[in-house]
Amino acid sequence: MDPTTDGDALGAILAAGAYAPPYRITADEVADAWGRFDAGGIDRTAVPGADEDALTMGIAAGRRALSAAEVSGSDLEFLAFATTTPPQEEGDLTARLGAALAVPDGATRQSFSASTRAGTRALSAALSADPDPGLVVAADCPRGEPADERDHAAGAGAAAFVVGSEGPAAFVDAAEHADPTPGTRFRRRGSDRVEGLGVTSYDRAAFARTVGAAAEGVGFGADSTAEADAAAVQSPDGAMPYRAADALGVDTGTVAAAETVSDLGDTGAASTPLGLATALGAGHGRILVVGYGSGGAADALLVEAERDPPTALSLEGDRAVSYAEYLRLRGEITPGNPDGGGASVSVPAWKRSLPGRYRPRAGECPECGGLTFPPEGACGECGALVEFETVELGPDGRVEAVTRIGQGGAPPEFAEAQARGGAYGVAIVAVEGPAGGSASVPLQVADGHDAPEVGDVVRAVVRRIYTQEGVTRYGVKARPVGPD
Amino acid sequence: MRDAYLVGAGQSDFGSFPEESYRSLFRAAYEAAVESVPAGIDPEAIDEAVVGTLGVGGRQIGLPGPAVTEHVGLSGVPCTRVENACAASGYAVRQAVQAVRSGMADVVLAGGFEVMTDASGDRTRWWLGVSGETEYERLSGTTFAGVYAQMASAHMDAYGTTDEHLSQVAVKNHANGAKNPHAHLGFECTLDDAMGAATVADPLTLYHCCPTTDGAACTLVASEDVVDGYTDDPVRIAGVGAASDAVGLFQRDTYTAVPASREAARRAYEAAGIDPGDPAEHLDFAEVHDCFSIAEILAYEDLGFCDRGEGGDLVASGATELGGDLPVNTSGGLKSKGHPIGATGAGQITEAFQQLTGRAGDRQVEDPVRGLTHNVGGSGGAAVVHILEREREVGS
Repeated sequence: MDPTTDGDALGAILAAGAYAPPYRITADEVADAWGRFDAGGIDRTAVPGADEDALTMGIAAGRRALSAAEVSGSDLEFLAFATTTPPQEEGDLTARLGAALAVPDGATRQSFSASTRAGTRALSAALSADPDPGLVVAADCPRGEPADERDHAAGAGAAAFVVGSEGPAAFVDAAEHADPTPGTRFRRRGSDRVEGLGVTSYDRAAFARTVGAAAEGVGFGADSTAEADAAAVQSPDGAMPYRAADALGVDTGTVAAAETVSDLGDTGAASTPLGLATALGAGHGRILVVGYGSGGAADALLVEAERDPPTALSLEGDRAVSYAEYLRLRGEITPGNPDGGGASVSVPAWKRSLPGRYRPRAGECPECGGLTFPPEGACGECGALVEFETVELGPDGRVEAVTRIGQGGAPPEFAEAQARGGAYGVAIVAVEGPAGGSASVPLQVADGHDAPEVGDVVRAVVRRIYTQEGVTRYGVKARPVGPD
Repeated sequence: MRDAYLVGAGQSDFGSFPEESYRSLFRAAYEAAVESVPAGIDPEAIDEAVVGTLGVGGRQIGLPGPAVTEHVGLSGVPCTRVENACAASGYAVRQAVQAVRSGMADVVLAGGFEVMTDASGDRTRWWLGVSGETEYERLSGTTFAGVYAQMASAHMDAYGTTDEHLSQVAVKNHANGAKNPHAHLGFECTLDDAMGAATVADPLTLYHCCPTTDGAACTLVASEDVVDGYTDDPVRIAGVGAASDAVGLFQRDTYTAVPASREAARRAYEAAGIDPGDPAEHLDFAEVHDCFSIAEILAYEDLGFCDRGEGGDLVASGATELGGDLPVNTSGGLKSKGHPIGATGAGQITEAFQQLTGRAGDRQVEDPVRGLTHNVGGSGGAAVVHILEREREVGS
């Protein structure tokens, strides 16, 4: 079923979640380094942590959306993932994303990439699939050459929506428009950096013309009198969406009502979804949603919220980084993992330990009731060699023992991540069981220097653990949530 | 069951020796052990060999035992390699005692070796982590130092142990190691040196961590039936205790103790007839496994030298210094003498032999009768304790 404009709801948003890394670099920091800052309208950009990528950010946003909706991942019929920066160029990430979110093995999965409108394409695909319910996740962390204006703008973030046939916010209209505009922003095969020819007037005209035409499809556009409370518009920088306001038929205040680019930077395929989530979180009722992918094509969706859908949008970032730290976090000046080997956990062995890598699982002893992590072998409490009942732990736990591995002291398989992120904590965490009790789990502490103390409460998050033979292992780390 | 006796023990220098091989280091230890036998020994008398090594560097993963025993001319002698991480050669000595007591052998060579300084820092860090629990502990990004640092954090939180206590262990052991011509880091350090050194894994500084070391050590264990042919002043292996535990720290019942050490000590004390309520009263010195300074404090408590939580106070009291009530790590310990993983346990036995036979030079304890050695594998997955005693007092 293709979205139509017959006035009936095409689908609905049950809840929204969003995530952004805690690291921020200011425009002033970049300007100090380069003598200029080439991304207008941006105050700060979000910088992915050393162990973050589109998949980990997508998992974080997805978990928040599901939590806000009070929907279990196991209830989902549909999962869509959109990013222009997949951690690997081939390999279906929706399997791992789904596993991390406990999505059923038989659920429909779709991936969208190669265009910053991937996020709005994923939303449109969910409308066509009409799941009850489904989850749409958009996550991105584009980058350019450090001297390039696209790198000055580059940010990071993710948004996710639980969608279904009915909900507090409805998609009431959808349209798209394509217009071939080669030479606007693009990324070459084999490259992880976006670039562009910098033909300014051509680029701006392509953007405005394409998004305007898509907006016309949902009743907006330069000549319309339609009104919206907010317009979530693709934001490759902080100026382009405002320049397109006339073409969209909205005023700049409407664009500003849904913008995240000034604080997160260019979030690629997650840009427009983050704007939509922000608008929903702010309580806006009628929201124009416009995604754009250079090359070029645009999607327009119209959302009307009868009531505010639940949202979990935590986009604050309090970890200011210098430009040197930015270059390290981005891996621009770090050496890569050294030769010399590293702990070997074979891929089949890793596979056998899933899905407990995404959320710790313990074995409950049928004889003493004690919890043992991992759920294999003899009971860690009573020593009986039993058949465990596997239970899910967490997500919260309490630090029992902790250290911080000083810079340069990491094992070789963690050396590159430490070079990027600096000294990191390693804790043994008593992670809560579902019916009381806990099991002790060794966890790396995410987000750099925030090594907690014994007794502090931490929460399990999914990050990159390490990469060996080109295969990245994703798994649980601990994120400090502060003392009681 | 026959008694087993230590009739000889020797070690190579411990240190960094790019010009040496694992075989040449083993030869030095072997020759020192043979030469230490008071009445001499014909290598033909050696019935069996047990050799401990982790295999750091991967240079001879398979059959490292025969690779060294054949090298020193023990042709055809059955040789078994023991691997229990840092407790490899402590367990090798235990295997020698078992062979003697069982009657299968009258004289057994038990030793160990490791070469750790001929690889890049990155490669060495990989090897140093191989004795941690791999699938979860290691993948939490931790290191060997990191695991002991976690124990330190828990001990500090539970008992108020301080950075100063950790540093006092380093100062004491360096003071002893400075008197040991075989020591890797045979120099003294100050409290300020130790406390102010760079952090390796918080709260452990560089001076709270043992070095990576090349070296070898050998012991000769003989049965009561033949001991008189080798010495008039025999050192009896009065008690042996060993125990295992989960490999990963997170899998253990406590982080403020090493349960395997406690159990190994209990068994050794029982075998030696030592009152477990006050073992220090029966001991004249101890060589304990101080791979990190917190490990020595834990050892005090696990071995019953003080009550739980009072290890920091014990080192602060000076009781474990040379000249104190119970000198600990007169050799300099792993901290100053060095820690060539597979050689460490046999190296501790060598120090005990030298102390009990009055050959410890400037670090000699006055007239010792009974000493203890304590060797731990990994962060506590294996532990072995030996009680050694002279049957005749020095000077008698």
